[in-house]
Amino acid sequence: MRDLAKKRLNENLKQSVKYLTLVFNDFFILALIFLFGALMFWYAQAMKSMPTNLWFYKPLVGLLLWLPLLTGHLVTLLKDADMQFLFTQDEQMDEYLKPMIKYSLVLPTILIVLLGGILFPFATIKAGIPVWSYALILIGTILLKAVMILIEKENLYFYYNFPNWVSLLITLVVLLIGSLGSYVYPIEVIVLMMMGHLGTKKDKGVFNWRYAIESEKARKDRVYSIFSMFTDVEEKQVTIKRRKYLDFLLPKAIAKENPNLFLYRRSLLRNPEYLNLLVRMTVFAILISWLVQDWRWALGLSCLVIFLTVYQLLPMATEFDSNIMYRVYPIVRDNRGKDLVKVLNLGLLIQWLLVSVFWLILLPIDSHLWISIVVLFVFTMIINYGYLPVRVKQQKIKR
Amino acid sequence: MTLKIEHLTGGYTGVPVIKDINLEIKPGEALGLIGLNGAGKSTTIKHILGLLRPQKGKILLNDVNLTMQPTKFKRQVAYIPETPVLYPELTLKEHLELTMLSYGLDASKSWDRAHELLKMFRLDDKLDWLPIHFSKGMRQKVMIVSAFLADTSLLVIDEPFTGLDPLAVANLIDLIKQSIANGKMVLMTTHVLADAQQAISNYAVLNRGTIEVIGNLQEIRQHYGLRPDDPFDKLYLALNREDNGNA
Repeated sequence: MRDLAKKRLNENLKQSVKYLTLVFNDFFILALIFLFGALMFWYAQAMKSMPTNLWFYKPLVGLLLWLPLLTGHLVTLLKDADMQFLFTQDEQMDEYLKPMIKYSLVLPTILIVLLGGILFPFATIKAGIPVWSYALILIGTILLKAVMILIEKENLYFYYNFPNWVSLLITLVVLLIGSLGSYVYPIEVIVLMMMGHLGTKKDKGVFNWRYAIESEKARKDRVYSIFSMFTDVEEKQVTIKRRKYLDFLLPKAIAKENPNLFLYRRSLLRNPEYLNLLVRMTVFAILISWLVQDWRWALGLSCLVIFLTVYQLLPMATEFDSNIMYRVYPIVRDNRGKDLVKVLNLGLLIQWLLVSVFWLILLPIDSHLWISIVVLFVFTMIINYGYLPVRVKQQKIKR
Repeated sequence: MTLKIEHLTGGYTGVPVIKDINLEIKPGEALGLIGLNGAGKSTTIKHILGLLRPQKGKILLNDVNLTMQPTKFKRQVAYIPETPVLYPELTLKEHLELTMLSYGLDASKSWDRAHELLKMFRLDDKLDWLPIHFSKGMRQKVMIVSAFLADTSLLVIDEPFTGLDPLAVANLIDLIKQSIANGKMVLMTTHVLADAQQAISNYAVLNRGTIEVIGNLQEIRQHYGLRPDDPFDKLYLALNREDNGNA
């Protein structure tokens, strides 16, 4: 079991590194360095002008140190098929989980140390926490995370159930009290928690496979969601959201609909890939317009963003081709480009409207800006009515 | 008004799975397609549904040629697949609406029928559910409801009984009987002859891609030299022997 765990950890590490290199590309690193530099500059300035020893400084340190405890859950790397193939291995799961626990602690430890370093000047100079006591709190924080992960592990068995929010609440209280002056307090609590934990460790009981696999899936999904903000993640499963509150955008009567229109509308509203893309690209256009502060650049870049939005929404056209019922039903596929145009038109108009409104708020208003808004509108229509149908026609229809 | 399959040879690219199949189903007739795994039952069905391109032969339904007028042909066919296939982004209600749109059905009339079918399969309170919330049996029921709602002249059913509760099996058999009584055509593959027999009397036995015999169970027994009191499962042993004998 230990070998299996190690093999899976290796695979997971490779996969994470692959996505991390994609996320932290040159451009992003540069942006991060600037951002970090600006933050540190502001921090240094603030340190100079800030009064010392205000009453809330110490609890603030405790609260900030608690934040990394919210990240990094127990990594188990369990898979669906394990419920079938490892079903008889309940008693060996402890062995399997040992390397997993170590691995799970890496990220939170890095975060705690990093944050601890950044907070060091504030905590020792402004909040007046002695250096050694501060170090003790940091060690305490790391140990608290370790205990939290151990509790998460025990939760995977039927006999044990300690909700995560209770752990978080206890650690928050402990860190607040700890930072207020009882600097050894976190360590004391950890000892108590460990003793309590060992006390309950009688019979291991049955491993809760379903729960363990579901939690791992949810954890992976959270990680992939973060990666997918920057890059395509092939492992990410698309979970359709009902989004009943958007139903008002669907026509009430179906009399004037055709099957392709009907399907595309619902796909755009409920498939998170498409709607999120539309939202993300709109926000992106607004943000870069604000950053460049010049109508020429704002217009050019926003046109590019609108083109990229349509380009990335193109797969919608053939989305249903792999569904056997779509191909068995008497649905005519020849004119579906026009149907997709109709459905995307509303989305793109909203995108244009939002970008234009934010231009008026964020950029200096003059005649150029008004002209830019008209040009952007014309461009959007050309892309939607000219480019999109041609591209959809080019896509092969699988027979 | 018939389904005619004439000299159909086909399968996957380059690999013929079925060879020179000839079948005819008249209005008010039902035909069961039986055979071992890999005999070509599903391949035959895929050809009738237009999912595979025939290498030879043609398929006509009420004189409409599948290759020449696919949409007109498909409007007359409803299909219940072995494994339910639903649109993850559509609710149950929307699946039925899509069926009405695709087959060009009158919405108000169809909804009366839909409610009847939904009640029969105990789905009437789940109209706003997305497929992720359905069990496998419930998904299969959605496929059945949609297919019978389409009210087509040919109904193609692939292994319909797996995963259904006995109540649903009985309801499905009733629906098939009703369809036959109303002059529809039914083509069904199955291994569960005990259930199928209640609705279907004629069978075609497929073996190694060809039809060996068409007839009622009595005639099929005779063809394979089974005694009247032999369990019908012996047919499969006979088919297996033939298969091995020719291997």
